[in-house]
Amino acid sequence: MTADAAAPPAIELRGLRKVYRRGGKQTVAVDGLDLTVRRGEVFGLLGPNGAGKTTTVEICEGLLAPDAGEVRILGRQWGRGDDQSLRQRLGVCLQETKFHDKATVRETLQLFAAFYPGGRSVDEALALVSLQEKATARQAALSGGQRQRLAVATALLGRPELLFLDEPTTGLDPQSRRQLWEVVRRFQREGGTVVLTTHYMDEAQQLCDRIAIVDHGTVIARGTPAELIRSLGAEHFLHLDLEPAAARELLAAGDLERLPEVQALQADGGRVVLTVASIHRVLPAVLDLLTGRGVVLRDLATRHATLEDVFVHLTGRHLRDEGAA
Amino acid sequence: MKPRIVRAIAAVTFREFWRSPDAVFWTYGFPLLMALVLGYAFQTPSPQPLPVAVVASAEAEAIVARLQRDPRLRPEVLAADAADRSLARGRTALLVRPTAQGPVLRSDPTRPDAELARLLVERALRPAGAESQPALVGEVEDRPGSRYIDFLIPGLIGLNLLGAGMWGIGFNLVHLRTQRLLRRLVVTPMRPREFLLGFLLGRGVLVVPEAIAIALFGALVWGVPFRGSLLAFALLVLAGGFAFMGLGCLLAARPRTIEAIAGLTNLCQLPMWLLGGVFFSNERFDGALQWLVEAVPLTHLNGALRDVMLEPAGLIDVAAPLGGLVAFGALCFVLAVRWFRWT
Ligand SMILES: Nc1ncnc2c1ncn2[C@@H]1O[C@H](COP(=O)(O)OP(=O)(O)OP(=O)(O)O)[C@@H](O)[C@H]1O
Ligand SMILES: [Mg+2]
Repeated sequence: MTADAAAPPAIELRGLRKVYRRGGKQTVAVDGLDLTVRRGEVFGLLGPNGAGKTTTVEICEGLLAPDAGEVRILGRQWGRGDDQSLRQRLGVCLQETKFHDKATVRETLQLFAAFYPGGRSVDEALALVSLQEKATARQAALSGGQRQRLAVATALLGRPELLFLDEPTTGLDPQSRRQLWEVVRRFQREGGTVVLTTHYMDEAQQLCDRIAIVDHGTVIARGTPAELIRSLGAEHFLHLDLEPAAARELLAAGDLERLPEVQALQADGGRVVLTVASIHRVLPAVLDLLTGRGVVLRDLATRHATLEDVFVHLTGRHLRDEGAA
Repeated sequence: MKPRIVRAIAAVTFREFWRSPDAVFWTYGFPLLMALVLGYAFQTPSPQPLPVAVVASAEAEAIVARLQRDPRLRPEVLAADAADRSLARGRTALLVRPTAQGPVLRSDPTRPDAELARLLVERALRPAGAESQPALVGEVEDRPGSRYIDFLIPGLIGLNLLGAGMWGIGFNLVHLRTQRLLRRLVVTPMRPREFLLGFLLGRGVLVVPEAIAIALFGALVWGVPFRGSLLAFALLVLAGGFAFMGLGCLLAARPRTIEAIAGLTNLCQLPMWLLGGVFFSNERFDGALQWLVEAVPLTHLNGALRDVMLEPAGLIDVAAPLGGLVAFGALCFVLAVRWFRWT
């Protein structure tokens, strides 16, 4: 730990900016982004489609050059000579990876193994992502999820210090996802640093030590998952399903909102969602109120706040909205 | 440069190619077929008799009878308008129109067989007493080494090397780029020159066997000779392959679409097809065109291949084209490495 503290951070981005220019049209993909990833942590970039996650990660990987800003990877900068020795220390799983169509899984891994002397053996990499049975299958004969696992295996072959995973679990079945999470955790236990992008809240929440929420090319919130959720000020939601006519009357009177523990209220016909700090204190008061007014309660549910709620709170949009950019 | 990486790239590239039977056929089988077809097409130099139209008239039969004495002429009697049309369409080489003052010969002198037909017809129709000059004896050049097929086979070997470099390398590199496969490779510790060299080796290992196959094919089927140094031949094939593969790398360094590389390839390949001396000799152009002929690498490769196959040329005799081809390939390769685009 003390030795690590002296070492430079795994990633440092300052004022990063990237503009795509295509036929006179400009897209600002990354717009003044700052980020620090510490050694040994699993860091998540969370954001909707087009937020600039892939662009940011590909700049870190040295695949794209930024238009402005400072990039330091393991304390080094791209293009200052001997990029190869820096690449030796990185593992990369791109958002969309193509390998040679006619090569088998084993042959693909053998190719990548040639790049990393002293890396893992091909068999070890196969076992890591449970692809032993598919070792002799050609690329074209793999399912989407199997291809994704192969991509992760190629990223791990070189025993990297820093691993980039751009949406590694998109398209995987639940079992493969959990298996991949295990691979990431083991990699971290062995001292590795991981940067991953994802759309899945549960993935970010369970896997990441810290998270940056990215929107329109900038970081709009950062912290541990718990910190981010706590920043909402209220960590629980109380869902009430009421008889619509009665609900309208109740809402018009404003009694629900006035209850001390309620921080926010959203209503859609008979469906009412209360944002509350603690369920156990607010629930008796709500039930008393409803009984007193003779309002029929058709259903009731409680939910712990998630990162999705943090995103909605910050932007008024949902993470998975298409075309949010 | 790490040999381990170059070897791995070459292996995966070769397998990718070898496991696509259609790619193997069009790269290596098709040229053999082309040699076969062209060889047969030009194999028999026995010239076809020249068609001559005689306009129908009283004297027509007599004229035809005299023309028929020369086996190189094929006279036929046609009505005046049919004869005109036949000449206009090129179905006949010459038109003979009998008149009171004697036959009139009508032809288009820009057509290659018109002048020959005129000479033969003039001779056939000459008054009997005029044949006093000594008869000249004609010989047909059909000795191995001097026929058209002997000229063609080395040219096809050169052409094949050109195709292997331009399409096999150039086209496929751009294909890998459009497939986004190069992106994944460039974020590894592999260097651009290791990748390009490996790719070149993987695609190129078959050029020597292929060239030998075409030469052997020519020798077995038509008796095309091989009189020079086998070593010089092998080195020439390697150097030619390297030159055109280097050119393929260079052309493929920047384009992001298949259309762009196809256009660039055609732009480079067409002048080589026309000027490189594959199907006909390119030693008779003049002025700027001859200068262009000399600028085309295929000219030097084909010339040297013919020296080695048709004449007893050795390594020393082809040292200059050999060095030139290697230098050309190396220059292209270095520029390609510098300008290569991965995404
Ligand atoms: N090559 C490109 N040319 C032009 N615009 C691009 C290019 N790549 C990305 N963009 C644009 O830049 C913005 C950021 O894209 P990016 O791929 O970084 O988003 P992302 O957060 O990874 O999205 P997703 O979750 O869908 O993967 C988008 O608006 C996208 O349309
Ligand atoms: Mg992305």
